Amino acid sequence: MGKRVLLCDDEIHILRAAEFKLKRAGYDVQIAGDGQEGWEAIEAQKPDMLITDCQMPRLDGLGLVARVREHEETRDLPILMLTAKGFELSSDNLAEKWNVLDVMAKPFSPRELLGRVNAVLDKEEAPTA
Amino acid sequence: MSGSKANSVLATIALLLSIGWTVGWIGGWLVEPGTWWLRVALLSPGVVLAGIATALLLAGVRRKHRAVAHYFETLARHHLSALSSDTIPEGTPPLPADKQWSKAAARVRDVLEEYSGRLQDLKHAQAARGIHNRRAASQSQRIKGILAGLSEPILAMDDYGDVVLANQSAEQLFEFNLENAETRSLAELARCQKLLDLLTSTTQRKMAGDRSDEIEIVDKDGNSHWFRATASPLSSGNEQTEDAGDNTPGVPESHGAVAVLRDIGDQKTLQKRNAEFVSAVSHEMKTPLAGIKAYVELLADGDAEDEETREEFLEIINGQADRLQRLIENMLNLARIEAGVVEVSKQTQSLNTLLEEALHVVQPSAEAKQIQLVSELSPMYLGVLADRDMLLQAAINLLSNAIKYTPEQGTVTLRSRLEDDKIRFEVQDTGVGLSEEDCGRVFEKFYRVKKDKNMAAGTGLGLPLAKHIVEDVHGGLLSAESTLGEGSTFAITLPNAGKLAGQLA
Repeated sequence: MGKRVLLCDDEIHILRAAEFKLKRAGYDVQIAGDGQEGWEAIEAQKPDMLITDCQMPRLDGLGLVARVREHEETRDLPILMLTAKGFELSSDNLAEKWNVLDVMAKPFSPRELLGRVNAVLDKEEAPTA
Repeated sequence: MSGSKANSVLATIALLLSIGWTVGWIGGWLVEPGTWWLRVALLSPGVVLAGIATALLLAGVRRKHRAVAHYFETLARHHLSALSSDTIPEGTPPLPADKQWSKAAARVRDVLEEYSGRLQDLKHAQAARGIHNRRAASQSQRIKGILAGLSEPILAMDDYGDVVLANQSAEQLFEFNLENAETRSLAELARCQKLLDLLTSTTQRKMAGDRSDEIEIVDKDGNSHWFRATASPLSSGNEQTEDAGDNTPGVPESHGAVAVLRDIGDQKTLQKRNAEFVSAVSHEMKTPLAGIKAYVELLADGDAEDEETREEFLEIINGQADRLQRLIENMLNLARIEAGVVEVSKQTQSLNTLLEEALHVVQPSAEAKQIQLVSELSPMYLGVLADRDMLLQAAINLLSNAIKYTPEQGTVTLRSRLEDDKIRFEVQDTGVGLSEEDCGRVFEKFYRVKKDKNMAAGTGLGLPLAKHIVEDVHGGLLSAESTLGEGSTFAITLPNAGKLAGQLA
């Protein structure tokens, strides 16, 4: 079974596109419609990686990232952000403060997203394998 | 005058006679010495005559003295101003006849006249200065009044960084009272480094014109106020600094600068709102665009292997393109209505007909979510004076909003009725409802209610657009009532266009 990736976005068609691409590559993809749902899925499914949007109802992307980093068992979960927010977000700040690996801008390329997920999860796999 | 002349003639005669007698006496003594009685007899009249002559002369001299004294006394007694005038004042005695005295007297009189003239000039100058001072005082009072009445804060600073003038607005803004303040230092009174820098740089560069800068002032409650401060150098007026003691040689004369502060809070808010709007628009546009690009790529890469998936992807692309188009149209409509450039053609028409058309338009999206659309339109004719396309747009926006935020198998009800002298129609849903905060802000552009999952995303412009159409274009009212978790009602009231129109229809 492939590595588990959690996708978190409130736009169903974005979820669908990313899910489709990653599933085809053999990943076990979970989806969540907002940050709160995302956190519940993280606790229940223990994914290997989190890809989250920023602007979401109930709990937004930054809130979710903060919650993930606050908890011991998820502190090292690799996180990638996928957002349509432009200049408001500083990826340097996100990387420094929350250890967010990368910030991808929407519109995004599913191919590129897969490439980044591969890079993160393959690299992760290397020491354990 | 003749008396004194006769006096001097007599004195001269007496003198000549006494000289004659003396000469005669000496001659007689030489001719005939020894006859003493004769000599005494001869000498006596001479002595008497000499005495008389002396007395007469003395009297003449005394009279002259008196006349001169009287003259000067009179001069002194007279008001000096009278002397300076060209006409000789009444009661002025004649100049003494004596040449020497009259010369001296004339000289004294000239001097007196000159001094009196100068005195007069001084008095004039003093009077003029008094008038000037009074005028200056009243002018300064008036300027103070004007400054106090100005809502713009005004502050003037001298070259040493001291506040020399602050109007009421400035004192209120910076929370000080210049009269009672312990210090006059601007740095301590105003505590705004930017303003201080602006004024300082203006005082230092006297030749440069006005300088201006945006400054932020935080009051004691922590609220920030934005001002545009324009500073101009003060020319070296002598009234500017009252402490003349500072104007010692070697110390440069104080120039200073004055700053006028203009409240730009509204402008700042507008700027901020504009930036937020642009950011929101870009976010709103990027989201459907992201869908389109992602699915196009999936299709291009051949990821969709079966026909069904390809169909699905194409449908998503189409849907997202529609969404983008709706957004752009809504934005343009909103901008046009807000700017007042949109052409409005109002005609009296049946509201129910218009609402039925709106229902027809949203029917497919309601069906897709298995939402029951209930029509409870008034059986009466309801005439409204409206721009058909615009009001239809508003009704569609409210209906599709209700469908969007109502879970599957919910109900959306459209009602219309005559209420008092107004026409009312409302869209009620059994949707997610709005919190009190959301209810108040739901008509703001791009304000999004924290929506439940699986809710289709709106443009965030539907309600603001509807509100504009109803309120600004049709003079009606659009309001929202809601209970969180139970549903919302959006109600529109419009003026009744009357029965006459009803007969026409």
